[in-house]
This record gives sequence, structure tokens and C-alpha cells, in this order.
Amino acid sequence: MPVWLREHSWRQTLTAVYLSLPLRGARATPSSIFCSEQFLKVSIPPFLFEAVLYAPIDDTNSTAKIGNGNIFFTLYKKEPAMWDSLTLANTDKEKLQYLRENAVLKAQEKAKEETEARKITKQEHKKYTLEATMKVEEAERKRIEDLKEKERQKVVKELELWKKQQKDGDKNKSIQKTGELYQEIEPLKERKNEKMKKTQIPNEGTSKTRLKSAKGSCSIFSQNSKEEQLPAPRAAATIQISFTPRVFPTALRESRVAEEEEWLHKQAEARRIINSDLSELEDLKEEEKNPDWLKDKGNKMFAMGDYLGAVNAYNLAVRLNNSLPVLYLNRAACHLKLRNLHKAIEDSSKALELLTPPVPDNENARVKAHVRRGTAFCQLELYTEGLQDYEAALKIDPKNKIIEKDAEKIRNLIQGTMQSS
Amino acid sequence: MSAAVGAERPQVVSHVQQALSYTVFDCKWVPRSARLLCLGSAARGTGIVQLYELHGARLELLREIEKPKPIKCGTFGATSLQQRYLATGDFDGNLNIWNLEAPEIPVYSVKGHKEIINSIDGVGGLGIGEGAPEIVTGSRDGTVKVWDPRQNDTPVANMEPVQGESKRDCWTVAFGNAYNQEERVVCAGYDNGDIKLFDLKNMSLRWETNIKNGVCSVEFDRKDINMNKLVATSLEGKFHVFDMRTQHPTKGFASVSEKAQKSTIWQVRHLPQNRDIFMTSGGSGSLHLWKYQYPAQRSKKDSEGSEMGVAGSLSLLQNVTLSTQPISSLDWSPDKKGLCVCGAFDQTVRVLIVTKLNKI
Repeated sequence: MPVWLREHSWRQTLTAVYLSLPLRGARATPSSIFCSEQFLKVSIPPFLFEAVLYAPIDDTNSTAKIGNGNIFFTLYKKEPAMWDSLTLANTDKEKLQYLRENAVLKAQEKAKEETEARKITKQEHKKYTLEATMKVEEAERKRIEDLKEKERQKVVKELELWKKQQKDGDKNKSIQKTGELYQEIEPLKERKNEKMKKTQIPNEGTSKTRLKSAKGSCSIFSQNSKEEQLPAPRAAATIQISFTPRVFPTALRESRVAEEEEWLHKQAEARRIINSDLSELEDLKEEEKNPDWLKDKGNKMFAMGDYLGAVNAYNLAVRLNNSLPVLYLNRAACHLKLRNLHKAIEDSSKALELLTPPVPDNENARVKAHVRRGTAFCQLELYTEGLQDYEAALKIDPKNKIIEKDAEKIRNLIQGTMQSS
Repeated sequence: MSAAVGAERPQVVSHVQQALSYTVFDCKWVPRSARLLCLGSAARGTGIVQLYELHGARLELLREIEKPKPIKCGTFGATSLQQRYLATGDFDGNLNIWNLEAPEIPVYSVKGHKEIINSIDGVGGLGIGEGAPEIVTGSRDGTVKVWDPRQNDTPVANMEPVQGESKRDCWTVAFGNAYNQEERVVCAGYDNGDIKLFDLKNMSLRWETNIKNGVCSVEFDRKDINMNKLVATSLEGKFHVFDMRTQHPTKGFASVSEKAQKSTIWQVRHLPQNRDIFMTSGGSGSLHLWKYQYPAQRSKKDSEGSEMGVAGSLSLLQNVTLSTQPISSLDWSPDKKGLCVCGAFDQTVRVLIVTKLNKI
């Protein structure tokens, strides 16, 4: 049960009501006061004070002062009139309840309105600041543009001036030129006249034409004199040139230099390694210690059908130098023929390993390695792996029909086995 | 555009822009006038030559000439000031010299090369330098030929690859060292990065080097003086400036190189009024204005006592982006300092003014 606070005192003027409410030791905070147009409530548990006011007040402007153990309300009346009493007399419970609820609702609405209003003002402020910054930036930009415009106009004026000068200059020059021409013609005419005076009379008939041609020929004269100043055309000659050689046929921008360099490097390294250990090698002849020679020997034996001999040759070559991919490649081919399929797979794999990085140079070798490994897989009936290798080979060399056909065959085989199983 | 309208830096002001209905490959000022020429290729596969005059803030088309084959390059370098004949190289390998007043029949014509003439240069005309006027053309067939307009059908010098060797496209040619009647030098740049310097007086190869990337453009700072500097630009944004005054017997010429833009540098052109300032145009549609500063000592002795050149340093004066497409051609006006025209692959030709060059 709340404890009602009834010891309040109040006085009024025409426009305001001053209410003083002593709190019996309770601490009041602004949230404990609830005020609406006609309803005032102070709730500090367990204390409670309620008042249904005689007349509506302006609750937004009214104030409450908390301090000194009491709350001092200054309520501004909506209509200036003298109240008979602070509260409405004879209010029944229902009315009270109704009023209370109303008051609460009204207060809520007011709160909502207030937040709305606040939001709107905030937005407007934001807009305003944005516009202000935009204006400032605009101004700055404009300033720069103006400077540039000024420069441009200055420059354009200069250009026009210069053009005028050019035109005048040209006019003057043409006047000068014709003047010069006349000057040139005069002495020439004189010379011609003298010549004619010296020559016999029958030539006088042609003198007029000569005069005319003199005018035309004066320009030829001037040209001739100029030409004499120029040297004769050069004697024709050819200079043979050659271009900087490149290991790869493509120019720098087309090649994948880094990888190609790596590949070259590897090849060079491989050639240099000579695993000269084993004592058994001592009784071999000099040439038999050369991996290249052994490789050639192996190739010859393969061509003749002596696969075991070829394998031996390659084995020895590998012992001497185990980083030449071509040896493994060829040995794989021999193993295929000998139907040592696992060994063939091993060797082609080793060859592929050594054939990194993938560059156009070792394309052929890689195609061969893939094809051989693929064949071995197929012969072991591991068709999917075989197909993988064939597809890899096709990727490197898409134009090879044989590989395409074989890949097709394998695909059909796989589909056939899948259907049957 | 660079943001800072800084105090003393030269500014590149775009004065006029003209949209064209064809691809423009070369643009040149007509000497002693405010007229410019645009050379290119129309969509229907014919060559176009257009003559414009600068009128205030616009270009007025004075004349349009159409030729059967697209035209790649042109020069006024080998004609006299009175005649102002234009020498052009076209896609078919023909070298023609035209009188623009009567362009139906060329003044000189020869089928000089088997493939497109990529670059052309002329020397000895326009009152600049001494010696006979000559034209050099560089073509995709790997040869560089020097022509004299007084001699029909055969070139006066032919720089061709040795028989049987693979050829590389010649992308650019330039004359230089024409300071008296006998001396002359031709520099050629190829697509594999080779730069070769041919001496026409001795008819021999004087120097060659390789700058690894294809050479798009070479130019001497002046054609008519003892060769002083050579700028060679290449793909991938790099260009080299060679100091040509001192040739070392093995190391050749000293050079400084700069990587300016991420894209190809299509052209380099020196300012006719100041040979230490040049502009490079790039594949990203940008123009860079550079200044070369000479070192304290231009040559020094190396360990064996032979003279070796010392390259100077470069500073970027200004840079501006005008277009999204490469600016393939650039020409300074020989009459007005700072006036230049550039043609880009977005089918526009722009007239620009570079300010404050007096203060450099």
C-alpha cells in the first residue's frame, strides 16, 4: 500500500499555481514526477501523491524544483482563472482511473512527438552541414577553374596575336618576293638586251620571245643556282644489318622470360652433373661414360627392337646423370614395349617432374610423356587415369588427331565398362 | 588534370578538340602557318589527309584529300619553306610526296617497301640544316631506306637484314647529326628492342644497342647540330635518353632511363625552341613533359683512359591525362612556343598550349 503524501501547500496567481510538496525524507528524481494536462502524480515508493487538477495546465512549460526535502511545482494555467481548489472535488474512482489512463496516453504521445521533432531537427542540421561543405568545396573548385580559365584566355589571346603577326609577315614576305623578282628580272633583261645588240639583226625577230622566256626563266635561274648549292644525291649503297639474337624466337614482350630462363638453367645444370662415383664405371670406355652417347646408343637399340639393351643403356646413362628428362622418357617407351607397365608409369612421371617449368620448348617432350603414361594406365585397365593423361596431352597439343582419337576410344571404353557394371 | 595550379610549373591547357570520323595516325603542323594536317585511315580502308586551320577556339577544315591506301606517317622535313610538300608513307609501302595545292598526282612516288611504312623522317628542308634534302622510311619489312627526291625509284641508302636472317619490324626512324653537307646519321628502332645508328657519310653501322623492349619512337634533340641527345621510348613505360656526344669504343653511349607510365610510350617530341625539354605521350592517354639536366661533366675517362659519356638527369615538369585511348602522335609547332597538336586513337585531335615554358 502506498503511503499518500497529503501535506501539500499551494498558492495561486491568475496564471500560475505554486505547489509545495514536502517529501518525508524520500529522495526525489525527475523520473518520479509524472505530469500531464490535468493530472499530476509524484511516485517515490512507497510514497505516492496524486492530484487531478482543477483546470488544465500547460505541462510543457510548467516546472518542478526538487530540493530541500520538498518538490516545488510551478504550474502554468492554460486559462488564466482563479481556482477554487487545487484538485477537483468529488471525483469518483472510475473517473480518476480514466483520467489517469488518459494522462498516461497523452504523455506517451507527447514523448513520441518530441522524439519525432528531435529527429527532424537532427536531419535538418545534417542537411545543412552537408550543403555548407558542398558550397565550400564548390567555391574552391570554382576558384581553381577560374585560374585555369584565365590562363587559357591569356594564352589564346597571345595565339591570336601571333597569328596576326604571321599573316602580316606573310603579306610582307610576298610583297618582298615580287619586289625581288622584279629586281632579278631587270638585270637579266639588260643582259639579254646587250647580247642581242651584239648579235646579228636576224635574231632580233626572236628577241621578243627571248624577253618573254627571260621572265619565265629567271625563276629557273634562281632554282638552278640553288641546286648548285646542294650536293648531288648520294651514291646508292646498302648496309647489311643483323638483329640481336634471342634463344627463343619471340620478342621480349611475347615470351615468358622467367620460366624460359629457368628451363634453360635447368638444362644447363643437368648437363653439368656427372655422377661419377661407382667404381664399376672405371672399366668402361671413355665414350660409355657420356650420357648423351649412351642415350644415342639406347635410341638405336630401340629402333632395332632390342628393348632390353636399350633399357640397359638408359639405366647406365641415368646412373651417370639422373636429371636428363629425355632419358626417362625414352626408357618409359622401352618399358611400354616390354610391357613393364608400372616401370613405364614411374619413368614417365619422373620425366614430367623434370620437365617443369612448362614452356613451349619442352612441349613435345611433355606430350610424349603424357601419352606414354596414359598408354600404360590403359593397359593396366586404369582407364580414368589414362584418360586424364591423354587429356593433358591434348591440352598441350590440341591439333594432334591421333591423341584425340585415342582419347575418344578410352572414353567409350569407360562408358562401356560403367554400363556393364 | 593535376590539381595544383602551382606557381611556376608549366600547365598544359587544352585549347581545341576536334572529333574526326577516321583513325588518325599522324598529325603535323604546316610550317610557318597556323594550319595543321591530320593523316589517317578511314573506316572504308582509304587514306585521309585533312588540312585544318586554327581559328580562335575551333579548327576549320580547309581541305580533305582521300587516297587509295591508308596513310601512316608524314613529314615536312625535306621540303623547302616555299613549297611545303608533304612526304607520306602508307600502309602499302609507298612513299609519296604531295603538293597540297594540287594533290591529285604526287610530285614523287615510289613503292619503297613491301610492307607498311611505320615511320618517316625528313632532313635538309625548311631552311634547317645543311645538305641535300633526304627522306628516311622505316618499314615492317625490316628495312630502313633513305631517299633523295631528285632520284627516282632507288633509295640512296638501304639498311636491310642479312640475307636469310629473320627480320624484325622497324618501328621508328630519325635523322640526326646533319650539321654540314656531308655528315648525316640515321637512327632506327626495332620491335625487338634494337636501336641502330647508321652513319650515312661512311655508309656503315656506327653503333647498336638493345633496350630489351620494342622501341616505339626515337628522336634526336636537334637534327641539324652535332648529335647531342637521343631519346628512345619503348613498351612498358620506359624511355632512355642517350648522351651522344661521347662514344666509348665498347660501351657506346651513356644513358639515363626513366619509367614513366605503366603503358607504352608511343611518341617523344622535343620542343623546337628548347632542346632540353621534350614531351612523351603514352598508351594511357597521358602526356608527360620532361626536362633534361646536364651533368657537371659530360664526359670522363674510364679505367683504360678512353672517354666515356656521363648521362644527366631527368625531371618531370608536368603530366596530364587527356584521353582514355593512346595518344599516338604529337607535334610541336615550330613557330609558336608551347603550341602543340596531338592525335589519339579515340579519333580526336587536340590542340594544346603549354604555358610558362619561358620560365624553365
